[in-house]
Amino acid sequence: MTRTRRASKGRLLARRVWVTLLRAMLEEQSMPGDDRLEGLDRRCFLRGLGAAVAMPLFASLRPARLLAGVPEASRLATTATGAPLRAAFLFFPNGAIPATWWPKEQGANFPLSRTLQPLARSKAFVQVLGGLNHKCAEPGPDGPGDHARGGGTFLTGVRLNKSATKLRAGISIDQALAQQIGQLTRFPSLELSCDPNHRAGACDSGYACAYQFNLSWSSPTTPVSPEGNPRLVFERLFGAGAPGERRANLERRRQEDRSILDFVLEDARSMQRRLNSADQRKLDQYLTGVREIEQRIARTEQFGEVLDPGVETPPGIPSDYGEYLHLMYDLLLLAFQTDSTRVATFLLAHDGSNRSFDQIGISEGHHDLTHHQNRKEWIDKVSDIDQWYIGQFAKFLDKLQQTKDVDGRPLLHNCMIVYGSGNADANRHTHSNLPLLLAGGGGGTLKPGRYIGHGSKPVTNLFVGLSQRLGLHKMEHFGDSTGPLQNL
Amino acid sequence: MTPASPDGPPLFFLSRWTLAVLALSMACSALRATEPEGAARFHKEIEPILQRSCMGCHNADRNKGGVAFDHFASDTALVEDRELWWKALKMLRAGLMPPKNKPRPTTDEIGHIEAWIKSVPFQIDPNNPDPGRVTVRRLNRIEYRNTVRDLLGVDYDTEAFPPDDTGFGFDNIGDVLSLSPLLLEKYITAARAIIEQAVPMAPTAVAEKRLAGRRFRTVESTAVGAGGDGPLVLSYYKPAKVTAPLRTQFAGHYQLVLDLTANERFVDGVFDYNKCHFIFRADGEQLLAKEFMRQGGKSFHFSFDRQWQAGDHELTIELQPLTPGAKQVRSLTLRLDGVTVRGPLEKEHWVRPPNYERYFPRPVPASLADRRQYAEELLRRFATRAFRRSVDDATVNRLAGMAERVYTRPGQTFEAGVAQAMTVVLASPHFLFREEEVESGPANLHPLLDEYALALRLSYFLWSSMPDEELFRLAGAHQLRKNLHAQVARMLASRRSGEFVRHFTGQWLQARDIDTVEINARAVMQRDEPPDPAVRKRFSRFRELVRKPPESLTDKEKKELADMRANFISSFRRFARFELNYGLRQAMHQETELLFDHILRQDRSVLELLDSDYTFLNERLANHYGISNVKGDQMRLVQLPPDSPRGGVLTQGTVLAVTSNPDRTSPVKRGLFILDNILGVPPPPPPPNIPLLEDAETAAGTKPPTLREALRIHRGQTLCSSCHNRMDPLGLAFENFNALGRWRDKERSQAIDAAGTLITGESFTGVRQLKHILVSRHSREFYRCLTEKVLTYALGRGLDYYDVYTVDAMVQRLEQADGHPSVLLMGIIDSAPFQRRRAAGAAETASASP
Repeated sequence: MTRTRRASKGRLLARRVWVTLLRAMLEEQSMPGDDRLEGLDRRCFLRGLGAAVAMPLFASLRPARLLAGVPEASRLATTATGAPLRAAFLFFPNGAIPATWWPKEQGANFPLSRTLQPLARSKAFVQVLGGLNHKCAEPGPDGPGDHARGGGTFLTGVRLNKSATKLRAGISIDQALAQQIGQLTRFPSLELSCDPNHRAGACDSGYACAYQFNLSWSSPTTPVSPEGNPRLVFERLFGAGAPGERRANLERRRQEDRSILDFVLEDARSMQRRLNSADQRKLDQYLTGVREIEQRIARTEQFGEVLDPGVETPPGIPSDYGEYLHLMYDLLLLAFQTDSTRVATFLLAHDGSNRSFDQIGISEGHHDLTHHQNRKEWIDKVSDIDQWYIGQFAKFLDKLQQTKDVDGRPLLHNCMIVYGSGNADANRHTHSNLPLLLAGGGGGTLKPGRYIGHGSKPVTNLFVGLSQRLGLHKMEHFGDSTGPLQNL
Repeated sequence: MTPASPDGPPLFFLSRWTLAVLALSMACSALRATEPEGAARFHKEIEPILQRSCMGCHNADRNKGGVAFDHFASDTALVEDRELWWKALKMLRAGLMPPKNKPRPTTDEIGHIEAWIKSVPFQIDPNNPDPGRVTVRRLNRIEYRNTVRDLLGVDYDTEAFPPDDTGFGFDNIGDVLSLSPLLLEKYITAARAIIEQAVPMAPTAVAEKRLAGRRFRTVESTAVGAGGDGPLVLSYYKPAKVTAPLRTQFAGHYQLVLDLTANERFVDGVFDYNKCHFIFRADGEQLLAKEFMRQGGKSFHFSFDRQWQAGDHELTIELQPLTPGAKQVRSLTLRLDGVTVRGPLEKEHWVRPPNYERYFPRPVPASLADRRQYAEELLRRFATRAFRRSVDDATVNRLAGMAERVYTRPGQTFEAGVAQAMTVVLASPHFLFREEEVESGPANLHPLLDEYALALRLSYFLWSSMPDEELFRLAGAHQLRKNLHAQVARMLASRRSGEFVRHFTGQWLQARDIDTVEINARAVMQRDEPPDPAVRKRFSRFRELVRKPPESLTDKEKKELADMRANFISSFRRFARFELNYGLRQAMHQETELLFDHILRQDRSVLELLDSDYTFLNERLANHYGISNVKGDQMRLVQLPPDSPRGGVLTQGTVLAVTSNPDRTSPVKRGLFILDNILGVPPPPPPPNIPLLEDAETAAGTKPPTLREALRIHRGQTLCSSCHNRMDPLGLAFENFNALGRWRDKERSQAIDAAGTLITGESFTGVRQLKHILVSRHSREFYRCLTEKVLTYALGRGLDYYDVYTVDAMVQRLEQADGHPSVLLMGIIDSAPFQRRRAAGAAETASASP
């Protein structure tokens, strides 16, 4: 109830002509055959927008942003044609049933496995990565807690400190990238989640809940909380209010923010001087926040006016989980398309999630089912859930494929999207041969459309490989990596 | 008056080094004095007992559970292994060690061991126990919301803030409450929105009146629009006509703003093509006529100008369905949020905005100097309340300077300038964090908190909010400690103490989770019926069809799928009344809170939380529990029939549902819940590489095993048995309650067996006897567990070994006082950890090495 009430605030009616045309196309004309336009549900603000919106949006992305003349070595997060190169890291919960996840054969013409069926249309843009491990997520000396470790090591590649209160992971790959290429865009990175409700009480086996609900860490002790409300994601990116007003709203905010920040910075410094070290760390977080917002303001001024995608602000959190995922995927697409950021993480659900999937006939909890005791029925159901998640991801890839980037290529061509989980076989809590996909063409630097077994290598090698494609040639190591992953 | 005087650092900072030296020398000398003596006592008094009862398994050779009492490198190592002794103390007290089949030390011997552990390894000085140190705490979402409400009268929805991380089961733990850049961004947004809403930006403004949706009523019946402040929900499928009367005092120009939201319930892949016609009239004149189709949560705001006379007016809303034949699959609704009437717009009719005097008690002076002084006065008052302690002149000056820079700009009002400075106050770390200072005075290892800090601890503990005027006044006058007990009594009597009840039970008993826990009523209820292979078959066919890419389905399959969906919808209708809908969840949530509240306010024994002959119900919840003769929505105290299995939190819907899986009960989770939250002896988490239950099915024969059978097989594995022997009997005792918390006699046609024997030896036939055993035989464990939970919540930190002294003292008092909660709360508030903090330079009592 609160959600919808909140969503109703500050929505106005003005629209651009093309949006009206677009809506007319999606709403009125498709009315009788709605179902045929799979996924193009007109009620959802962005759904299916990718393809149709591309032209007007990119008319406003100035061609000056194309950097074709710059020598390749000095380019950061830029493709050979000068288009932005983006990286995203997506996390799905509880691993996948290995038997139905892995394709039967490796190579370029690999047959899609049962779980990966929905990727049929985007197969040419997807690599299935075999043989990648997170050794740091294994119990080792720390004993139980594989879901906390599955989540917390996924993008950090380090061993977590097992404690309910003393957080220590490592910087996550997205944040490491953001620190290098974040200055290129208004937002250094974007953190999204479709799992915003935390349970009361303790989390996994003595690990802090923060490990399970945050993929991104800006330092070993600071998780970056993701945004779980589609409306707020949108307003953060493009401003509050109706299309046409957002730019002015953002501008006004910026000026006010600046004077507020100046003032509180002094407060925080004087307060910090009086505190002991544990307390000072808390104030450090505050000061970091101040600095980041200041930098954002500076960057926004540097990049000139903010794009207004011209669509209506999405409502709050939809009650249907599938719809929720779609909306978030659409926002991620929009953020990449408008070059608001080039780095993103997206937590579909936390590791250990016990969601049930009535819409596909599964009333049991997901986590509960993964401990299947080798019952065929349970294994089948987990495979169905794995496939359902892939189905949602596939729709996102379809849209990325249909959307044209600034260089005229499909947006997906200029992306590198990691999709994976922190557990391999959730029944046994293993962390070797993790289910991982790499989607996108990396601006021509990747060879998608294959299933490659990488033997037995750390997942962080993949991260190093991707970083180098983003122009970070100096990053030779990350987490527990042993070198850049070859044959990508 | 405060130790942190504006012009110099507080006294104890000056003497930090002196203190550190003092701390070190005291700790060392204490250890040096007691180490040989303590070790000697060990060898003389303790070791013989351990040899007899423990060292058979816990020796260097067998090292069972990684514990050995004979491998210490030196007496120092023995005395200093606090972790080991803390663990030993817990196991001994819980009666878990020595195991049943080994000789148990006598009560006297146990007393000896306890006393030795506390005085030698823990070094606890009963006259001056280590109070520990709480990391500076950020306001959590609840505290922020309450504080803003009490400070400014604005109810700001903090759900937009990222969820607070929890530690030790609570969301107010300083160590884990982090502040990300995203959150800071939201704090700034919130500060702006809150001040904008609360503080008038000009001395006069257009009068505004809001007619909430529920003020609209049908002419014939009062069933629609029962009055009140909420929105009115109208269905696309049903005609409706509602009106609201309105009186204007003056003639003039008015503006009407109509707020609507078009909602629907999402159903994947199915669309709802219904439309309705919506008409809005004022005094019979049609202002808006619009057709609505499904709009997915979209909001609409329509604005109309009116030239009105003084007197009575009438607003009318009419809705007509346009598509009576179309399928109604998504529950399309138009929500009338309300109509805002602004006017007269003519300036001579403008009025003082609401709350103007609250922020600007006198007229704005004319001269610039007077204005500056007025701004300083207003901002000092506001910042003092917002920062919850006295504010130095420099800060006031900076704030007033900021206000001045705004209000001296052309076109800006004085009020807007002050409001801008107030926005900054709400974004400041002094507001967002709870600073605690200590009393000035002679150097002390464990100084008392100053009175402002004490007021803060009290108010955030009992009210989850800032101190009120009275606490603040007493703290300022240094009178709070003197009147502590009277003030605590006053605070508990206040309605605001409901926040303690809500957030403590919400987290300790996980009552909060009932609002969102996913339980599938259909699956749960079908489980309690005889198994139906046809249903199972239908489901697997359904899953097969939805798995296929939609474009690859044949027409026949499409039809089959559509038929199935329709079939499911109609055949599941019979389960709809069991659904954990909003009303039922609310009733369950309230039942838990009301029981705790009742015990607290009537100062009854806390053991009634485990077993009582009454509970709190309304008609909906009573039906759910199968209890008759409770009518209406109001929750009230209900005396339970003598044979009722209900009574106490363990058989409430909240606990039963939040410890279940979406489709079935989980005896393991229920058992774990009791060990964690009632007996306070959590088992270690399951080991990694759990042996799989591959054989579960074959071992139980061809048909799938019952839960009890599966668990029995599980316990057969030695690796599992030590913990599952503790959890399973507790959890299985509740098997008569399904995942929805409803009573049942059978699962899948098999009669339920709820009998069992606890690891501590007591046998029971079902849940009623179990509850009785918990109350009569395990009250001490419960007292200790509850004390630990409340203390953690009150302090905002996890407990450490040195807190054993405080907890023990409290348990003893609870036992003497028959479990009265007043004793517990007052005892915690009086205790050293609540009243004091470890000085900045002081080490943990016993962490200094010789």
